[in-house]
Amino acid sequence: MNREEYLADVELAWCPGCGNFAIRTSLAAALAQLGLPPHKVVLATGIGQAAKIAHYVNLNGFNGLHGRTVAAAAGIKLARPDLTVIAESGDGDLYGEGGNHLLHNIRRNVDLTVIAHDNRVYGLTKGQASPTAPRGYRTRAQPAGSPSAALNPLALAVALDAPFVAQTFSGEPDRTANLISQAIQHRGFSLVNVLHPCPSWNRVQTFAWYKERLVHLDETGHDPGDQGQAFAVATRSGEQIPVGILYTTDRPTFADGHPVLSGDPVGLRPLPSSDVVRSLLTTFF
Amino acid sequence: MAVRIAGAAGQGVQTLGEILARALFRSGLYLHGEFSYHSRIRGGENAFTLRVGEAPVLTTTDDVDVLLSLNEEMLDLYRPWVREGGVVVTDEAVGDPADGEVRVPAVRLAREELKLPIAAGVILLGTAARLLGLDRERVADAIREVFGDKAEPNLRALDLGYDHVPNGRWQLPSPQFKQGEAMLLTGGQAVGAGAIAAGCRFLSSYPMTPGTAVLEFLAKHAAKHGIVVEQAEDEIAAINMALGAAYAGARSLVTTSGGGFALMVEGLSLAGMIETPVVIHLGQRPGPATGLPTRTGQENLLFALHAGHGEFPRYIVAPSDAADAFYLTMKALEVAETYQVPAIILTDQFLVDSYVVVPALDPARVPVHDHLLPVEDLARMESYNRFALAPSGISPRTLPGVSEKLVLVDSDEHDAYGRITEDLEIRVAMVEKRLRKGDGLRAEVAPPEIYPTGSLRGKRILLGWGSTYGAIREAVERLGAGYAHVHLRELWPLRTEELRHVWSEAEEVVLVEETATGQMGRLIAGETGLQPHRFVPRYDGRPFTAQDIVEKVTR
Repeated sequence: MNREEYLADVELAWCPGCGNFAIRTSLAAALAQLGLPPHKVVLATGIGQAAKIAHYVNLNGFNGLHGRTVAAAAGIKLARPDLTVIAESGDGDLYGEGGNHLLHNIRRNVDLTVIAHDNRVYGLTKGQASPTAPRGYRTRAQPAGSPSAALNPLALAVALDAPFVAQTFSGEPDRTANLISQAIQHRGFSLVNVLHPCPSWNRVQTFAWYKERLVHLDETGHDPGDQGQAFAVATRSGEQIPVGILYTTDRPTFADGHPVLSGDPVGLRPLPSSDVVRSLLTTFF
Repeated sequence: MAVRIAGAAGQGVQTLGEILARALFRSGLYLHGEFSYHSRIRGGENAFTLRVGEAPVLTTTDDVDVLLSLNEEMLDLYRPWVREGGVVVTDEAVGDPADGEVRVPAVRLAREELKLPIAAGVILLGTAARLLGLDRERVADAIREVFGDKAEPNLRALDLGYDHVPNGRWQLPSPQFKQGEAMLLTGGQAVGAGAIAAGCRFLSSYPMTPGTAVLEFLAKHAAKHGIVVEQAEDEIAAINMALGAAYAGARSLVTTSGGGFALMVEGLSLAGMIETPVVIHLGQRPGPATGLPTRTGQENLLFALHAGHGEFPRYIVAPSDAADAFYLTMKALEVAETYQVPAIILTDQFLVDSYVVVPALDPARVPVHDHLLPVEDLARMESYNRFALAPSGISPRTLPGVSEKLVLVDSDEHDAYGRITEDLEIRVAMVEKRLRKGDGLRAEVAPPEIYPTGSLRGKRILLGWGSTYGAIREAVERLGAGYAHVHLRELWPLRTEELRHVWSEAEEVVLVEETATGQMGRLIAGETGLQPHRFVPRYDGRPFTAQDIVEKVTR
């Protein structure tokens, strides 16, 4: 497959210089790398600038409610294990409004790939602090600076034993494509946190700011199989930003040993026969 | 004939009630069994009120012939409701020996003879069963059904209680039906069975009384019937998971109560926008907020109707009893699938938890079909637009991954393909397309039931909806000539032609509803301009009884 086939020929309503353009291309490159036919992939998104990606690619799409991206994606995957299901949205959607669904789907370990566009601000609503904005970050909604500490999605996912936890930077599209493709292939829940600048609203974490701080984990001898090491990397504060695979593990997925999910996808099963229904009703005789 | 078993939570009232109901059902008799309880695991007030009859028993009762009380507190609470000539059965240590009750050394026998203190209840049940004229073997069968391999000590307990009194004070009627002609089930089980019969393949829900009964029923049958059942992290997840599953092809159900439904409201609106079928079972209980968690009421009618921002069609049913719950649940799933709309099944604690014997259910009464676009047709299409502007408003629907055609749905306003748009002409066309589905939906709704048939001229009408059916029907029977019963089962779209006729003929329309404000009156007034002349409310969390309605109507 050619990556161009995944890219819809439509006008993109993102701001010039936005990291979302590169993430879109990286997603297409990852799918092309895996040779996944577009009709066998569902992209579930929420609401926000990042979530518009459902309209900018040639894939099946469920562009649902703000914050409910992962919940809808889980429903799609449970009904149709035959499809590759990707949940993609911004940090506000996935880590703010939708935090509960993230936690519980890591627990559930549904075989999903979650791609978080993390620019530390709310773009569509014009620049308020997101859950990943640092404490003291000033916006029009937080004029005295955000009073809360930043959420650490990587530490959270590692702590919950998410089977695949990675971080990447939109300015490194090939590495990003590679990580997304590995995340899709990994059995169980995968989180890829994609850091990207927001040229319209975030004047602190700029392209150059990120470039100076990136540390590639595959060059540091980091062992992604070691949860303790992964947690240490995820929580390391300071001027270094880890990118690459932080953590991988193999633990039972929601579908493993499930009495129904081991059979045909429930979304494709026929209506019950009258004999089956009658057998159910005999329990009331 | 009516029996009440009362005790504290943890004393087995529900189990004893189920045994008695099964024994009477096995004896070929109709019954209605109401379970009433406090919101706690241990202690509090638990009561099972069972009426037996030769014809279908429609509702519960306040007064009873036999009271089986498992403790002093329940004896004091319920003794005033024992009819003249009735019997009270208690343990020898409960109540005053001078009161002439049937007092059984149940606690002592359970401890000394059976080494199983909890079996005291079954001993008392054995005594009550003999007084009622129940055959010992029918009760033994019921104990085997309910206890399975733990039946043995309870069968001995039955004998101890049964042998405590001489042969029955009463004689039960002869069997009215043969095995296979009638069914014993609760309203909650009926909703679950109706969902399975109509092809439900996915349920995601957060536990909330009384909605949980449906979750548990589907969970029990999920493996055999190929249904994914998942307890969601919250009700918001529940509805969004269900919509994801429905988009992917699974007929989906969520079950909840008012508070949980409140959390689902944005998802309901999403269902309207992405035209994806989903069915919500909303088991009502009194509110606001947490309200009375284990009690009954009808306060969510206007909430169910108006929930969700924006304008979109929906289908709302309110079953009148367990059989109706089975058929209307099937219809709700089928209508949701046909019109690609959300459907709401409005029940309540009384309907969900009550046991009832109904004529054997026949799923063939509600035909169920596959409404998806055949894959061969898709292959011939040059392009596929999920939201094509069809005259009926119903765009041909397909699923992701069944052909090379892509399926895009969007909570933003969208074009025919499903892509986000701010083209306001497309917006207008899409609003109109969605609302056109309301015309078809309106034609699906059956007329309200009017009883007795014939002219309503000069009559007083008792108007109700949902689970108050039995109490209103019995009240009308007791009130006799001059009264009639009009009952609504499908509430939205509201069928107005028969209602206009009722108002034009009747002397007076009296709304009977378990609310404080008369919500159906406001709904009908909004649609027709017609107001009920009088309102009989009940909002103490208990279901209406016929007696209660008769007193309030004739006062």
